[in-house]
Amino acid sequence: MAGSLALSIERRFTGGPGVVADFTVPLDAGSIVVLFGPSGSGKTTVLRAIAGLDRPDRGVIRFGSETWVDTSAGTFLAPQARCVGCVFQETALFPHLTVRGNVEYGVRDRDRAARTARADDVLALVELTGQAGSFPRELSGGQGQRTALARALAPHPRLLLLDEPFTGLDSPVRLRMRRLLRTLVREFGIAAILVTHDRNEAIALGDQMIVIAGGRVRQVGAVLDVLRRPADVDVAHSVGVDAVIPARIERRHGGLVDLRVGEVMLRAVDTDFDGGPRDIVACIRAEDVTLERAVVVNVSARNHLPGRVVGVEAEGPLDRVTLDCGFPLVALVTRQAREELGLREGGEVVAAVKATAIHLVPRA
Amino acid sequence: MDWTAIWVSVRLSLATMAVLVVVGVPIAYWVAFSRWRWKFLVEAIVALPLVLPPTVLGFYVLMAIGPRSPAGRLYEAVAGSGLPFTFAGLLVASVLYSLPFAVQPFSAGFAAVDARLLEASWMLGISRLETFRRIVLPLSVRGLVTGMVLSFAHTLGEFGVVLMVGGNRPGVTRTVSVSIYDHVQALDYASAGQTSLLLLGVSFVILAVTYALQKTVWAAWPSHGR
Amino acid sequence: MKPRIQQLAAGVALTAAGLLAACAESTAPGEPAGPSATLSVAAASDLRYALDDVVTAFHTEHPDIEVAVSYGSSGSFYAQLLNGAPFDLFLSADVEYARRVADQGAGLRDSLFTYAEGRLAIWVASSSALDIDGRGLEALTDAAVTRVAIANPEHAPYGRAAEAALRAAGVYDTVRPKLVLGENVSQALQFVESGAAQVGLVALSLALAPAAAAGRHVLVARDMHPPIEQGGVIMTRASHAGDARSFRLFMLSDQGRSVLERHGFTVPR
Repeated sequence: MAGSLALSIERRFTGGPGVVADFTVPLDAGSIVVLFGPSGSGKTTVLRAIAGLDRPDRGVIRFGSETWVDTSAGTFLAPQARCVGCVFQETALFPHLTVRGNVEYGVRDRDRAARTARADDVLALVELTGQAGSFPRELSGGQGQRTALARALAPHPRLLLLDEPFTGLDSPVRLRMRRLLRTLVREFGIAAILVTHDRNEAIALGDQMIVIAGGRVRQVGAVLDVLRRPADVDVAHSVGVDAVIPARIERRHGGLVDLRVGEVMLRAVDTDFDGGPRDIVACIRAEDVTLERAVVVNVSARNHLPGRVVGVEAEGPLDRVTLDCGFPLVALVTRQAREELGLREGGEVVAAVKATAIHLVPRA
Repeated sequence: MDWTAIWVSVRLSLATMAVLVVVGVPIAYWVAFSRWRWKFLVEAIVALPLVLPPTVLGFYVLMAIGPRSPAGRLYEAVAGSGLPFTFAGLLVASVLYSLPFAVQPFSAGFAAVDARLLEASWMLGISRLETFRRIVLPLSVRGLVTGMVLSFAHTLGEFGVVLMVGGNRPGVTRTVSVSIYDHVQALDYASAGQTSLLLLGVSFVILAVTYALQKTVWAAWPSHGR
Repeated sequence: MKPRIQQLAAGVALTAAGLLAACAESTAPGEPAGPSATLSVAAASDLRYALDDVVTAFHTEHPDIEVAVSYGSSGSFYAQLLNGAPFDLFLSADVEYARRVADQGAGLRDSLFTYAEGRLAIWVASSSALDIDGRGLEALTDAAVTRVAIANPEHAPYGRAAEAALRAAGVYDTVRPKLVLGENVSQALQFVESGAAQVGLVALSLALAPAAAAGRHVLVARDMHPPIEQGGVIMTRASHAGDARSFRLFMLSDQGRSVLERHGFTVPR
């Protein structure tokens, strides 16, 4: 697989600021790059430019050593020639073809039997063998998206692009689809670029993350890096999470889970991921972290984490206090509270987090 | 009952319909998918026969295929005889006369196909032309059928153009509409009435059957993506 | 205004304009035009050039009478007149139509008159090399002549005459496959004039008209076909019966006749 995607484009829209995007991102086999941002931020524009469905007004797009777009040289490689698979939110399955017909559509083997065999292989991977003869209108939402995935992958593309493919699906279906995507991407040994505005999806699926807001790229990097160290306030707000902690589920009991983060143990409410992964990401909002002088007993918060103050930042009437409790944690407190606690850099403090405030996201 | 004239009309309508499929589909494709800023001019030209008096159209066609025009002379050189007053000449005029009745439903049908389906096809490596054949055409059957039926029915009722271009040759260019008119002019209202009634009945049946079919058979083929 | 109201206003304005236009006096073909003190005449279209001159001469004689002529096909006028089209006078190229109108009671029987006899002519474009002067109708059998235009014999008197003349000349069978029929004798001329037909049998009055200037003609002998009687009738429900009678008299007078003769008609003495 090609090493990376380098993109530097500009697309103007009448009556708006347009999109100016510039990033380079590695495309390792089996990895997923998330294009993340709020609705209308320009993510779909960038994805469509990568796909070749839209032409940027100005710029360059390079896939490995291939130049797909170079407006100054007049180069534009048609989408048909880029060998890229695409999955849309609305599946866009061909209504007059069966599931098998849809999956076979892009397969170019001369031999009819070979085409069918390839399609059936992919159908087996997405567990739709029984549905091969059905028409798209007979499928459920999840089945439709699985067909769309199979169709996009059957021709063995070099890259997979997905535009909010799971947004319309029910929550349990969404979780299964995320796992399926990861399986497929590894199986086919390609990279995928996924557009989403759902933070959980970004956390669950992303290896690399590109944050787009207001038509501009704000940050590029490994997902956890971006979430922990947002480049600016806008990114922080769109990303919306202050503490993102990779953890392992050590024990499940009575509706609660014990999480291990390095040396520290956290207790959180169990969310039912149908008995699934051990590796999860724990997300804690700064608003949900209280600070105290010393460990107080007989209080409802289960997690009392002693730590050291790393930094204090004013944010309007509040202060954002960054801590090190064995892992980075952020608390949002009133200025008055900070003063009362005498918090300053280097000081010792105990952070308290309710078990209900720790949001668990399974890593797919 | 002038069966010869009826047969001429039926043959003319079928031939016009067939030619319009061959000629109309590429034009409709262009109209549906082109983004040329002056496209509206072409659309207006295609729609002209809708508003032009048929006699005007017939007049210009006669000039255009007559022995004084390059097209007419070319035809005569190749075919050995002139184009006016022949079935072929009438066919040319009918194709022009019924053009919008084919092109407009065709292109409406093409344009109604969800653009996302086209994009999905391109992403799967299929060229625009092949996408047209494998996705657009099958999903716009309704538009195609409508255009074909309308151009057939419209040609069946053609009069003014035939009057200008046909020369009223029995068995060749004497269509049923001209035959009816001649009977009226000769004050033979009985014959005119008979033939008119038959034409009315046939046209009604064709249209009714087509619209009925559109509801049932083609409902199994929705023209929009899921 | 909000867009919705704008659309509604535009719709109302358009409809009102349409209704007003419909209610206004319309000048449809076959309907008399002009102020009501006008004599309205329905005339066969092949009378156009001749009748225009007759009307001019008539108006000089009777400056107080305005004449408005509507040209159309005799067959269409027949149907319209029977259904009460408000004409005062009907002039046909074939007296048969006028007679039928009288038979149906729509025309005054005692006003039925033949105003002229038409003559048939062979007409070719000036560029044609066909020797119609020397060979007459026989020239139509030439291989170079692929199309011969005549008026439709089914309802046009000149068509019937053409057919009869061809039979009389003994060339009908040869010429028949080459025939193309015009809806009226003017269209037959137009077929030849456009070059689509090489020769045509048309009314002499047309062959002499300015429209036929780019051609030459030869008269067909009178005995080759039944006489082409051109006649007319005054309508029973004419609102200007008096003026109609004056016009009828004028057409039958020496003055009227000389105008008609100038246009290639033969007038009964």
